[in-house]
Amino acid sequence: MKKVLLIILISAVFIFRCDGGIEPEPVKPDGPTGFKGAVTFTGNWPAGVKRTHLVVFKKPIQKTDDFFPPNLSFVSDSIPYGSSAFNYNSLENNFLPILQLGEGTYSYVVVAQSKTEEISFERKDWYVVGVYCNNGDQASPKELILRPGEITEGVNIKVDFNNPPPQPPY
Amino acid sequence: MHRFLLILFISYNILVAQKGVITGRIIEEDSQPVVGANIIITGTSFGAASDDKGRYEIRGVPYGQYTLEVSCVGYEKVSKKITIDKEISQINFILRESAVETEQILVTASKFEQRKEDLSVSAFVIKPDLISHKNYIAFDEILRDIPGVQVNLEQVSIRGSSGYSKGVGARVLVAINGIPLYGGDNGDIVWELIPISDIERVEVIKGPASSLYGTSAIGGVINIITKEAAQIPVTYIKSYAGFYDNPSYDIWKWNDNLRTFYGTEISHSSSIGSVGYTLSLKKFDNMSYRQNDYRKNYLGYFKINKTIDANRSILLFGDYLYMDRGNFLYWKDSRNALVPKDEDNGNTVKSNRFFSGFVYNNRFSDNLNSTFKLSYYYTRFDGYGIEVTTSIANLYRAEAIFNYSTKGNFNHTGGIEISGSTVKSNIFSNTKFGGGALYFQTEYRGVKNLIATLGLRYDYIKLDTIQGKNAITPRFGLNYKITRNLILRASAGAGFRAPTPAEVFTTAGIAGGIDVEQNPDLKSETSFSFESGLIYSPSEHLNFDATFYQTDYNNFIEPNLTKTGDIKFINLTKARIQGAEILCAWAAVPSTFNLTFAYNYMWARDVEKNRPMKYRPRNTVNLQIGFTKQPFELNADFRYSSKVEEIDFELTEPPLALIKDGYKRVPVYVIDLAGGVNFVFSNIAAKLKLSVKNLLNYNYVEFIGNLAPIRNYSLSAEIYF
Repeated sequence: MKKVLLIILISAVFIFRCDGGIEPEPVKPDGPTGFKGAVTFTGNWPAGVKRTHLVVFKKPIQKTDDFFPPNLSFVSDSIPYGSSAFNYNSLENNFLPILQLGEGTYSYVVVAQSKTEEISFERKDWYVVGVYCNNGDQASPKELILRPGEITEGVNIKVDFNNPPPQPPY
Repeated sequence: MHRFLLILFISYNILVAQKGVITGRIIEEDSQPVVGANIIITGTSFGAASDDKGRYEIRGVPYGQYTLEVSCVGYEKVSKKITIDKEISQINFILRESAVETEQILVTASKFEQRKEDLSVSAFVIKPDLISHKNYIAFDEILRDIPGVQVNLEQVSIRGSSGYSKGVGARVLVAINGIPLYGGDNGDIVWELIPISDIERVEVIKGPASSLYGTSAIGGVINIITKEAAQIPVTYIKSYAGFYDNPSYDIWKWNDNLRTFYGTEISHSSSIGSVGYTLSLKKFDNMSYRQNDYRKNYLGYFKINKTIDANRSILLFGDYLYMDRGNFLYWKDSRNALVPKDEDNGNTVKSNRFFSGFVYNNRFSDNLNSTFKLSYYYTRFDGYGIEVTTSIANLYRAEAIFNYSTKGNFNHTGGIEISGSTVKSNIFSNTKFGGGALYFQTEYRGVKNLIATLGLRYDYIKLDTIQGKNAITPRFGLNYKITRNLILRASAGAGFRAPTPAEVFTTAGIAGGIDVEQNPDLKSETSFSFESGLIYSPSEHLNFDATFYQTDYNNFIEPNLTKTGDIKFINLTKARIQGAEILCAWAAVPSTFNLTFAYNYMWARDVEKNRPMKYRPRNTVNLQIGFTKQPFELNADFRYSSKVEEIDFELTEPPLALIKDGYKRVPVYVIDLAGGVNFVFSNIAAKLKLSVKNLLNYNYVEFIGNLAPIRNYSLSAEIYF
């Protein structure tokens, strides 16, 4: 009988050490979360480009699969061919509304181009032409930090067709 | 002289002492008479035995206070203090079957009757008294209390065989009287279809059983054995009503009305000559604690069994279920945990199901037995949301089983099985599938204390236009009794599961722009598993059962997010599930205080990615405490499972974030309490039960964005007459 009581006691301690389980998230600041900035282009646009987007990835692209959801976090509206500058706001220029940007840190923000007629999620169909980076070093992508209820400004990317950035793995 | 006066005085008192008659009935919990029970007045020579109607009578009992004790083989002993102070005293008893673990008989493990202690696989038996102690509304609630069995929402998994896929493609074969109960289209199990009040016992085989049961049994088998029809007329009425408590947080309270659930069941069982029958009607409604999660169910059930002669019998049974329910998919967010997403609110599903089975037993001789089984399962559902989804499926099955015992030490079981299904659906396509199987198993008892089993099954399955698939699933088992109290068992075998039409052909929108893609290239999954176990019973009242198990899966089928952002069932290259389970059953005070403790450690992982498999907790604990002192009974159940490591993060995290706060998950701590009182009122056996489920009002999820039932109370009344 003592053993039974011991087991019950251990169980009771085990149980009552736990809290009430899942709780509602605290209230977060009102207002949308997003970012905005400008993409500028220098040099001649390559021939045959069908679409050009600013694309945000949660984590760096280390393998082909990283190019797709859920790592793919944002795709802007297509930038018209031949543009010299494109001002954007992630809330207004969201090409894939199914993708929702939330608060957090995003490791890889790029401008990518494709020559396919249809939208493609295949890594091989895309070419990175500009990277959001530190001090113009396109080999060192800069993290994009989004805070809840805030619009992060100044996310600018310079695309130099004469000086392409390093390409993520195919 | 003094001595003479004393004797005279005592004799006088004896002569003038008033005497009474004790009479009454001895019945089981379901009002069936207990024949041949011994009723004695302890400390005296007075006693009697119950007749074929359970009646007894003890005459000439002097007035006074006594203890009346009733005993019968197979039942728990009951005693009651009584006072005889009138001419006739009516004292009735309700006996409960005694639970002696090592004497349990199972038919599921090898398709013939075996003692549990002779099996080479892990098995668990749920006896009817366990079911009667609690106010179970649907069968899946019963399964939550079985060690090693996990229920995610309504999807059952044994030792991690399944994660969560909305019930599609069950890996545990659920059967009624050995006849599988999975649907013809998505291969799901609808628990409400199972008539709980007609369950004699539930046998659970943990681990792959494909070598006897084929596809769907890759994770195990749950076989529900129904009761024999009553010999004398018995009518059973059960009515229950309950309500959900307030949620833990005020912001979760979305409705000011009391959220109730209730149900009524009437069943009647009797026999006319050699024909026994059981009829049952049940209505059960649940407003639910969540918005748009209501259920309105109607269940009709019949069963006819006929004993043709000493060697032949038939059984025919059928279930019809109509269900009208809301379709709660995911919560809106954690601040609105009991409210569905706006776009899902108002989604409903109406369904009709009819399941019937026919079993014919024929004993050709003392050595040769045969059983023929036929079944038909009709399912139809219509889902009403942004788009209307519909599916109608007809599933037919036939099986012949032969069992031959040689005069030596062999017992052979063989069988042939065919099945076919037609599906008309706007989400699964209009498909057909069919298949056949042959199986054979031999049990050898020629070596002292050793039972060896060897089995082999061949399956062929053809799913619509897709190339047919073959599978050969062998199994080998050993049971060795080291000593009378120590049994070693081991088994190894292959398993397989063919994809269901739903996994291959589903094309439907889920929500938020996510679609399910079809995958005609989906391959059958295969497995190889082994387990070894030890049963130690140091005394009649204490039993330990320890098991180590491992299953390796190839082409394991799981839903996954595709490169285009849709859901698709794909084959994982390799998966491995390893684990150990310890179970201890102790009758601390026999027939009064019972305790069961079980711990399961399970490590389930995607071998290729070296990541845990989704929705599978590593640690689970089950603790059950039962106290019975007639007429009262009290049961407490505790369940714990550790926080699952891997879920469908693609659905919960940006960029899709389809289910806001869906990442929230915690370990599970659930306590259920149930108390009851048995009594006889005007010769009617009755029972009142009070249940509290999720006593701690602990908030947890079994699947992302789906808060498990909050604390709820129910009261039930049952009568037998």
